[in-house]
Amino acid sequence: MTRISGALRSPLTFSVLAGLVIGALFLLGTGADPVTAYRAVVTGALGADGIGSTLTTGTSVLGLALALAIPLRAGLINLGGDGQMVLGGITAAVTGLYSPLPAPLTVVLALLAGMAAGAGYAILAALCENHLGVPLLVSSLLLSYPAVSLASYLARYPLKEPGSSLPQTRALPDGVALPAFGDSTVTLGLVLVALAAAAYWFTDRRTAVGYEIRMTGLNPRFSAYAGVERRGLTLKLMALSGGLAGLVGAIGVLSFPYRFVDGSLTAPGYTWTGLTAALLAAAAPLGTVVAAFFFAVLQVGGLAMERTTEVPRELTQVLQAIVIVFLAARLRFPRRWFGRRTRESEAV
Amino acid sequence: MTRPPAEPESGAGVSGVAVELRGITKRFPGTLANDAVDLTVRHGEIHALMGENGAGKSTLMSVLYGMERADAGSIRIDGREVRFTSPSDAMAAGLGMVHQSFKLFDSLTVAENVVYAAEPRRFGLVDRAAARRRVRALAEEHGLAVDPDARVGDLPVGLRQRVEILKLLHRGARTLILDEPTAVLTPAEADTLFGVLKSLTAQGRTVVLVTHKLREVLEGSDRVTVLRDGRVAARLVTSDTTADEIAAAMTGRAVELDRVHAPGTPGEAVLRVTGFSTDSVHDVDLTVHAGEIVGIAGVAGNGQSELVEALAGLRPVAAGQVRLQGDDVTHASATERRVKGLAYVPEDRHAVGTAPAASVADNLAMGHHRTTLSARGLLPPAAVRAHARRLVERFGIKAATTEVPASALSGGNLQKLLIGRELAHDAPLLLVEQPTRGVDIGAIQNIHDQLIAYRDAGHAVLLVSAELSEIRGLADRVLVMYEGRVAASYTKEEADERTLGLAMAGAPVEATDMNPLT
Repeated sequence: MTRISGALRSPLTFSVLAGLVIGALFLLGTGADPVTAYRAVVTGALGADGIGSTLTTGTSVLGLALALAIPLRAGLINLGGDGQMVLGGITAAVTGLYSPLPAPLTVVLALLAGMAAGAGYAILAALCENHLGVPLLVSSLLLSYPAVSLASYLARYPLKEPGSSLPQTRALPDGVALPAFGDSTVTLGLVLVALAAAAYWFTDRRTAVGYEIRMTGLNPRFSAYAGVERRGLTLKLMALSGGLAGLVGAIGVLSFPYRFVDGSLTAPGYTWTGLTAALLAAAAPLGTVVAAFFFAVLQVGGLAMERTTEVPRELTQVLQAIVIVFLAARLRFPRRWFGRRTRESEAV
Repeated sequence: MTRPPAEPESGAGVSGVAVELRGITKRFPGTLANDAVDLTVRHGEIHALMGENGAGKSTLMSVLYGMERADAGSIRIDGREVRFTSPSDAMAAGLGMVHQSFKLFDSLTVAENVVYAAEPRRFGLVDRAAARRRVRALAEEHGLAVDPDARVGDLPVGLRQRVEILKLLHRGARTLILDEPTAVLTPAEADTLFGVLKSLTAQGRTVVLVTHKLREVLEGSDRVTVLRDGRVAARLVTSDTTADEIAAAMTGRAVELDRVHAPGTPGEAVLRVTGFSTDSVHDVDLTVHAGEIVGIAGVAGNGQSELVEALAGLRPVAAGQVRLQGDDVTHASATERRVKGLAYVPEDRHAVGTAPAASVADNLAMGHHRTTLSARGLLPPAAVRAHARRLVERFGIKAATTEVPASALSGGNLQKLLIGRELAHDAPLLLVEQPTRGVDIGAIQNIHDQLIAYRDAGHAVLLVSAELSEIRGLADRVLVMYEGRVAASYTKEEADERTLGLAMAGAPVEATDMNPLT
């Protein structure tokens, strides 16, 4: 009972409901019917035609959400998800194109290479903070741009598909692809990301290092006082974070259309959606998964809504933005709406 | 309770009453912070408001100062009923408050701080010359000498407090509320402060003193109102009460004050520090033996915190050597020192010693999470909870459950949590800073008993405290730090309050006392 009313009173519930209500007002303002529009979002994302697309998008959003949640749990913000992901993607593409190994091994190698590239690049940002005093927020964000540009250059020039007018690399050789489920676009990548989420949950709840990460996030001076070495922790967490972002990039390249297409990884805004999901959940493992799925639904459902109701899909972005603003303001329902229950008192 | 609370004097409309609170009730979720509290403060008196942490002093003052809205009750200022919705209303009615943490701009001058938000203007601009004249005049009138052009950041704490008082006087405050004003002062500075307060009341101003220090209430106040559990426990006239009576009213039972514990029996040296320097500690030699408490006295900011932090491995060492149980740990990390046998209770329990947002159980696990509680990197939640329940039981920590956030604990209980956690390491050396700052009298006794028991179990304890009575009660030897150096060293018998007070203020001491016993 306490738990339920606690969940209802959480700022998260308030923000999501407020977002839905204000979104409905927007819809009414443009002359659309909110019920129809919201139904279109839900059926478009979760119906038989949409679920595959939602899971594919969900793979990337969840992957990036985890990548950003892991350092965020210790209070570190990695804003370089785009660069790390794109480097992972282009590295996987290069590996896929040039690896002399048989196709299945090449896939594994491409995934590992993608993760290594993302991790290495994130470590660079961590080193900037640890040794040059550049705040991680700044170093990770700024390092992102050259990485994206480098990948763009590679895709447009040295690795460009001959004869194509699109800025994309040659297609990977036959068989160099992640196995897909049936004839959907959902690949083994979803399983990998889900495993990462499970590992994150386990580490967070049940290991000494997970405990140290949580305490560092809640009070860095407290964990430093007890001997947790912050620089080392920053380095490790950024490596994991970048590795996961690189994995998402590699998964993107090893799935349809089996090549690196310039902009295809960054244009959907996975990094920002992922960051939002991680922030929404305060980087808690289960909450991050739920929030990532919620945003994947909004993203895919928004497109469906645009097709069927002529309401522009930007509405779902408005929704997302409102949720964030309310959440940032930490608004919540008044306590009295949920009966008189005594919370932990201030003066136990 | 020693004396039934008398009926409050009827102050309505009667001249002679500066502030009258009637039936103030304030409820917070789960707590009745103030339960029909009456407080009558007469014109021209120093009225002490006493009580342990959580007794409702701060809430009552917040209500009076317009920071909190009472659920019931009325406020009269000079006999007129008022309704404050913000501190500015309270200031307009002639109240002024000096908060425990000063609200000053360090980079501005004294004059700029004093006139802030009530600046003398000329052609719409701040008239700096007038501001300086005004501050000089106020300072002279009230004997609060301070240079109007000095930067506040450069001033010692005692002078900063004067700036706060000048600020209130500049705005025409007739009743001054001071929240724990002596917490950061030397005994001499505290005496000066009380001199100033007496001269202010002699001029017809009124002072409300919120404090938990018995000595200064007895010496400096006219009347006392004691709160306990949100209610008025006693109304006393200072001249015919005693420290024991006040303490009993605060705690609801008789307490033994300023107990001096029997000395320990020192054994082997556990900590040996020679020629030790950091950026703000200079050439310190000290030794702490097993079964001994060495106290470091000194006014805050004379290098004690830096010394202890450096000994704990949290601050770089410039020169010298630190030996822990015979091994050189001068350059060891904090973790290595803990493994070697060091536990540490830091001064700031909110910012350093705990993570207030984390649960009690998580807070109690810190430091134990790599040793007794975990195996091969796994930290089972059940082990963390069981450990927390054990310590809560053993150290009498009052918490609703071990899963509530540490921020839900009172100051005294949070300190018990912190001390319990560190004692549970059973480390040969315990560094402990300000173990009872802002802690209730009842909890102080408990904490002191724990430290003595820890010493008697054969551990070495290095105690840093700004409370002289604490140092004198617990320490077997006392070092005084002044400006980053060990200025003097005394045995338990030599260390009387006056001697320590002089050494803390930087008075020269005979060279014979300079060698710490080894």
